[in-house]
Amino acid sequence: MKANIFGVSLLIAAVGGGANALSPVGVAEDAAVDPATGISLPDGFKATVFADDVGQARHIVAAPNGWVYVALRRSVRGMGAVALYDPDGDGRSTERQYFAEGLQGSGVGVHDGHLYYSTDTAVMRWPLPESGAPTGDATIIAEGFVPETQHASKNFTFDGDGNLYVNVGAPSNACMREMRKKGSPGMRPCPILEKYAGIWRFDADTPNQDQMSDGHLYSTGIRNGLALAWNTHADALYMAQHGRDQFASFFPEMFSNEQSAELPSEEFHRLDDGSDVGWPYSYYDHIKGERMVMPEYGGDGQTVSNEGQDPLVGFPGHWAPNGMMFLKSDAVPADYRKGAFIAFHGSWNRAPLPQQGYRVVYLPMDDDGNVSGDWVTFANGFAGPEPVMNPRNAVHRPMGLAEGPDGAIYISSLMSGGRVWKVTYEGE
Amino acid sequence: MKANRLFLMVALVATCFPATAQDTDAKRLYEENCGVCHQYDGGGVPMLQPELIGRPRANGPKGGVIEVILQGSTALAPTESDYGNEMPSFAHLSDLEIALIASYVRTHFENNGGPVTADDVKSRR
Repeated sequence: MKANIFGVSLLIAAVGGGANALSPVGVAEDAAVDPATGISLPDGFKATVFADDVGQARHIVAAPNGWVYVALRRSVRGMGAVALYDPDGDGRSTERQYFAEGLQGSGVGVHDGHLYYSTDTAVMRWPLPESGAPTGDATIIAEGFVPETQHASKNFTFDGDGNLYVNVGAPSNACMREMRKKGSPGMRPCPILEKYAGIWRFDADTPNQDQMSDGHLYSTGIRNGLALAWNTHADALYMAQHGRDQFASFFPEMFSNEQSAELPSEEFHRLDDGSDVGWPYSYYDHIKGERMVMPEYGGDGQTVSNEGQDPLVGFPGHWAPNGMMFLKSDAVPADYRKGAFIAFHGSWNRAPLPQQGYRVVYLPMDDDGNVSGDWVTFANGFAGPEPVMNPRNAVHRPMGLAEGPDGAIYISSLMSGGRVWKVTYEGE
Repeated sequence: MKANRLFLMVALVATCFPATAQDTDAKRLYEENCGVCHQYDGGGVPMLQPELIGRPRANGPKGGVIEVILQGSTALAPTESDYGNEMPSFAHLSDLEIALIASYVRTHFENNGGPVTADDVKSRR
């Protein structure tokens, strides 16, 4: 009898993901990539190379006017963004207009008839044109962010009430007294938390707001929340952060290379006003299922911390969540509609072990924003056929995610000249 | 005994680098102190840490690599780097350890700058 029940369970799991009919299957780890696009997708999904050689593509947005806008980390012929268009709808853009002269940046988004863009020190906007690139000077919306080199990108998102949320990454690994120096203790209180390591909220329409005098520190203790998105189903903010680097380099007596490759978790959180994720005082260990004291603050790899909220999910270490998206349309099957798509840029900090990540995952969630199942891989193969020992050898690294007005999914990568894929659901 | 051994190592570095034992020590020191960021193959990490392959500092005057190890990325001109992460100083390492690492970088990763000595490090502290 027990064997029969087991057999039935297996059958249910095979056909529909168990009792929960909304458990997606994802794409198998060893699935063949489509040679035309270099990536693999779940059954029923199809990709095209929407644009190639666009430049160092960061975040992307697919606007209601049908154009896709891409922020460029390094300018192309003096322009820090590019607009792409596919007039005949074959999944390949043939029109391309570079814009944002004299700028370079990482964040881009559309809100209330405007195209928003961020450099490392400001968020600005233009009226969204009917087509093509915006013209004229952009209006500064949020500014005053301190120029940095580490974790300097100012990615952003919007809620449904006219607010803009900006990630201000910490220019630091673990708030050590001496930057990234073996044996240097962490500072308490960590002075970096005053102006960095959090999400600042602004009014999305008011020009020239200063980070410290006009912005509201919405959530703190976030080392770098590059993957940040508003979940319209649950009406709440979600974020995945980059965990700290170099456990084994700084604390070889506590962490083996294998442990250091896997830890700390890349943490996925729901962020409410006033929330604290715990950096630099704690980190999350998804193997133990516990939040731990950071070694620079007296931790030994075994001591549990009570500083910082627990994540909803702890992903494997160093995968680098760079983009996040919640879909709004019904263009994909129901089991892919309510959860979080997360683009993992892929690791560098797992050496000497092979690097990992380099994929887009889907995390199932319910209407209320609760995680409702295990994450699956949605798009894979970006890095190429060989194990990645060094990220520079990855052919592509997923970065930005966007949903088009027709429900198509766009994925960007800045490697190999910069590429944007368009993914659509075509049915079984 | 320890002092003798140190003397011997200094002498070896000064006179006949790369000896096999020296190269083993140098490789270990590089991997322990540099490998995670600059990667074991010296390839660096796009956007974050520079590659060390075929770099002018590893093919030029003796101080090129030593100064970066001693001072970290503050030794680099702003125009010399397009990388997000800062490099800390490794001045806490001994002259000999820094000489071994600098020599390793200058004689590997397609670099031909040649070895340096502990005295080369000492004179630049």
